[in-house]
Amino acid sequence: MPVHHALSHGPHWWILGPSIGLVTLGLVATINERIGVLGGFSDVVERIEGRGRLGWKAFFLVGVIAGGLLFSLLSGHWGHAGGYGWLGRGWVAGPALLGAGVLIGFGAKTAGGCTSGNGLGGCSVASPGSFVATGTFMVTAVGLSFLFRWLV
Amino acid sequence: MRIRAASVAFGIAFGFLLSWGRLTSPDAIRRMLLLEDGYFWWMFFAAVAVAFTGLRLLRALRFRAVLTGEPVRWTTLRPERRHVVGAATFGLGWSIADTCPGPVAAQLGQGLVWSLFTILGVGIGISLYFRRQRQRAAAPEAALVD
Repeated sequence: MPVHHALSHGPHWWILGPSIGLVTLGLVATINERIGVLGGFSDVVERIEGRGRLGWKAFFLVGVIAGGLLFSLLSGHWGHAGGYGWLGRGWVAGPALLGAGVLIGFGAKTAGGCTSGNGLGGCSVASPGSFVATGTFMVTAVGLSFLFRWLV
Repeated sequence: MRIRAASVAFGIAFGFLLSWGRLTSPDAIRRMLLLEDGYFWWMFFAAVAVAFTGLRLLRALRFRAVLTGEPVRWTTLRPERRHVVGAATFGLGWSIADTCPGPVAAQLGQGLVWSLFTILGVGIGISLYFRRQRQRAAAPEAALVD
């Protein structure tokens, strides 16, 4: 029960942020690699298509999935039968998420990273390309969210 | 083997933290993107600040990565057109799904079935990217025009 209670609310931003910063730092300190989740999906796609082999990023991805599982088991909320945010609970959410996923995969691959690869990893090493990518996807996503709220 | 184990361990920590902070909740991400909730923005800047400071400290101390023995180092990239075009495309997908590759993986672990649609889409998007790269490699004159 104490575990359930502790996980029933998110941590303060000043606990969560530095903790995620330490994960980013820990990957460099142990295996000299920059954090990124897109690369794990990319490894899996290449493996399925018969090219390449699974690198550390694929194992990191497996960990992220397991981390979500661990959290939901400890907090007692595994499985979710409800809707999906503003896309609702109807059938339209499925194709909308599929299409959004294509944009996420293609776009992030083109930009060389997602919110973790460019946002956390690239900005932490002060890579100018990552600053531009991070600024662009943040401004785009905020602007379009307002647009969608106005339209829908 | 130890590198793989470390990758899984850090992944578990990352997935757990994303879940605990509700970054896997599309409603929470939408509140962030509509600027109704400063939590995620502050959290993100704190994460980058800690990692930025720590990485410079490691480099100044000539720290060697524990499992590989290599000196800690990294590379940086100049901004290119692809950073803007790719990130804008990604931002469009992000604003629709209210999730991105890290949180969607944690959603899968949480048993959120909707994540299967997003993950399938991400896989298709990555596959399309590789296909286009191969086409460009096969027709270099087309790449010059772009």
